[in-house]
Amino acid sequence: MTWRALCVVAGWCIVVAGGGVIAQAPAAKNPFEGDATAVKSGMGLFRARCADCHGMDARGVRGPDITQVWASGRTDEGLFTTIKNGIAGTEMPAQPRLFDHETWQILAYLRTLAASSRTEPPRGNAENGEKIYRANCVGCHRVNGVGGRLGPDLSRIGAARSREVLELRIRGGVEGFLPGYEPVTVTPQGGQAVVGVKKNEDLFSVQIMDTRERIQGYDKTALREMQNNPRSAMPPFGSNRISESELDDLIRYLQTLRGFNPAVVQ
Amino acid sequence: MNRLVLLLVTAGTAMLSAQQVSPPALVTTQEIAEGLPKDGSRWITFGGSYTNQRHSPLTQITPANVKGLVPQWTFQTGTLGNFETTPLLRDNILYVTGPQNVAWALDARTGRQIWRYRRELPSDLTACCGLVNRGFAMLGDKLFMVTLDAHLLALDMRTGNIVWDATLEQYKNGYASTIAPIVVKDKVIVGVAGGEFGIRGFIDAYEAQTGKRAWRFYTIPGPGEPGNETWAGDSWKTGGASVWVTGAYDPELNLLYYGIGNPGPDYHSESRLGDNLYAASVVALDADSGKLRWHYQFTPHDVHDWDATEVPILADLTIAGQPRKVLMFANRNGFYYTLDRTTGRIIMAKPFVQTTWAKEIGRDGRPMLEAGHTPDENGEITCPDITGGTNFWPPTFDPSTRTFFVNAREACMTFYSWKPDYRPGERFTGGAGQRYKSATMPVYGALRAIDPTTGERKWEFKYLNPSTAGLLTTASGLIFSGDNDGNVLALDSRNGTLLWRYQMGANLHGTSAITYMVDGRQHVLVPAGTTLTAWALPQ
Repeated sequence: MTWRALCVVAGWCIVVAGGGVIAQAPAAKNPFEGDATAVKSGMGLFRARCADCHGMDARGVRGPDITQVWASGRTDEGLFTTIKNGIAGTEMPAQPRLFDHETWQILAYLRTLAASSRTEPPRGNAENGEKIYRANCVGCHRVNGVGGRLGPDLSRIGAARSREVLELRIRGGVEGFLPGYEPVTVTPQGGQAVVGVKKNEDLFSVQIMDTRERIQGYDKTALREMQNNPRSAMPPFGSNRISESELDDLIRYLQTLRGFNPAVVQ
Repeated sequence: MNRLVLLLVTAGTAMLSAQQVSPPALVTTQEIAEGLPKDGSRWITFGGSYTNQRHSPLTQITPANVKGLVPQWTFQTGTLGNFETTPLLRDNILYVTGPQNVAWALDARTGRQIWRYRRELPSDLTACCGLVNRGFAMLGDKLFMVTLDAHLLALDMRTGNIVWDATLEQYKNGYASTIAPIVVKDKVIVGVAGGEFGIRGFIDAYEAQTGKRAWRFYTIPGPGEPGNETWAGDSWKTGGASVWVTGAYDPELNLLYYGIGNPGPDYHSESRLGDNLYAASVVALDADSGKLRWHYQFTPHDVHDWDATEVPILADLTIAGQPRKVLMFANRNGFYYTLDRTTGRIIMAKPFVQTTWAKEIGRDGRPMLEAGHTPDENGEITCPDITGGTNFWPPTFDPSTRTFFVNAREACMTFYSWKPDYRPGERFTGGAGQRYKSATMPVYGALRAIDPTTGERKWEFKYLNPSTAGLLTTASGLIFSGDNDGNVLALDSRNGTLLWRYQMGANLHGTSAITYMVDGRQHVLVPAGTTLTAWALPQ
């Protein structure tokens, strides 16, 4: 691809001056998203330039986990600028020698670590999926301000998880839990057992949300027992509860959830 | 001028003259060599003394009364980033370096600022692993501080103004500096960071008065020098071997002891075949000339980023009935070592955390390697992880019980590697890691008390998560530590019983508490996050 072609494809221009590259405003969307060749190039670039700090799987080593940046509301445009300019006052460096198309390739690769690419043919009926969601999930999960709080908010789940990961999680094929959602039972001295999810813990205290969504901290010396429950609080939804076609519908609906939308009234 | 004004001017001049008659005494090399005095009036070098023992003679705060500690004041930096510093104290004034190359003089009685220094850093800085600084050194009326753009500064202790500014190397080529200098005789000893940027590391000595460089020891030998043959081809030119943690000094032997960083590229074996001296080693240098007297390489041909940039501690011990001058070293590679510091010969070595890469250290001092621990594109699992069994946070040593204390990490990692391209000033690591844990490879931390004559563990205090806190012991039988969840802790150093804790809101990342006397009261000063908090018993 020539530079002129890149300029057209990316929807913005680069100016080569004395070996340096000066970028004008980046495109709002990644022009390479879902492009298999770009994703492969991006993987190589990520490993060479980013993985040492952010980890081979981008889930953090010296630097933070960056697989959930879109799920936390960041945009392609903003992430492009962060990679190019770095973050002043931190060890995240500017990348003046990284070409702009290389930056997009890195982001295209990172997207594949977070959620499925949009080139994947859609399956299922989102409208029916929303009904299934309301019948089975809304008690514990929240979308656009509606629903339970014991499980993770799913308002951006479509940008955060691939179809395969969602399927595994719903069917109960994934062990473990996100930080902040570990099931726990605490029994205060002279009190009754309280079941909930663990929000934080150190050697001396534990903070939980109980099944009635009350948040509370406990001094460990005031507990008779604290039991970490090894299995996720989310029950497995086998094919006897959600059929294969219903699963397609549910996941199709979840894939539409790509950002909190306060205007949605349910 | 009328008479009254004349009288006032004359009186003012007389007062100034009276003050000028007895200016603060200058910091002397004798004071530094004496280490921590019994009266608690000074903490004027990184490790408290040249031995780096961080063992205070103070006894006002004890295991029996430590629960009564109350905060005296808190100072906030107002900067981004965290403390990794050891504050210094003299004449009731604290001298503290912080993140972003900001530094302060503070009133130790109140925590109030007397002056503030801030370095204007270049916008294209490429420093690895935190924009941090590990502390001042002092001599005469000067403070010495390195900078992230690889300079060494002398500041006026009374004003914070620059006295001289020496360039260590060009930061644009990946050089930086974060180490706390030490002063030996009339020289300031420093090293450079940049092991992830293809630098060629060195230790420098500068004349304290002028900033003129007195000597340089390259941590990678050049062509024709012994050791250069341990680097295949031209790999010595970009082999890293940085020096970013303060060493120790033995005045009697006149030897400096410094741990040297990892070889680069960090993970790619084929880019630098050979042992890669003096990376991942400890070197003993003549303090006057910088000439190498001996070296010991902990991890020949390291491929897991296991810098030997841990703090060495010196002590005189009786081992097998013989008096020995030893150097104690808990290494990032998971082994604890006791070396003879006169010769560099190994006395004993033993794992202090789970290690899967080597069975043991052989009689010849080389690790007996397990197969399958060279990273490649498919990844291999090794314990310890990249951060190591321990790292740059200071350990401590209690000579009365002959116990070495270290905050140890139990963690493993999948290491990957590929051939990297070198570009000046850019990261040059040739690989990456990925966190790994399993039932047999759990992740946790522990404060461990080790007998340096046997390597046996006397006791441990477990943390939920690996701690990166440095340590402080006192003659009253206390050890101050911190967990990774923001708690500063005081334990009984004889048995590890927890005695006191306080939630600071940030962990002691690489910092240790220090202790000293102010107005007859023992203070414990804790740098954590962006705060310094002083504690003492109630009046």
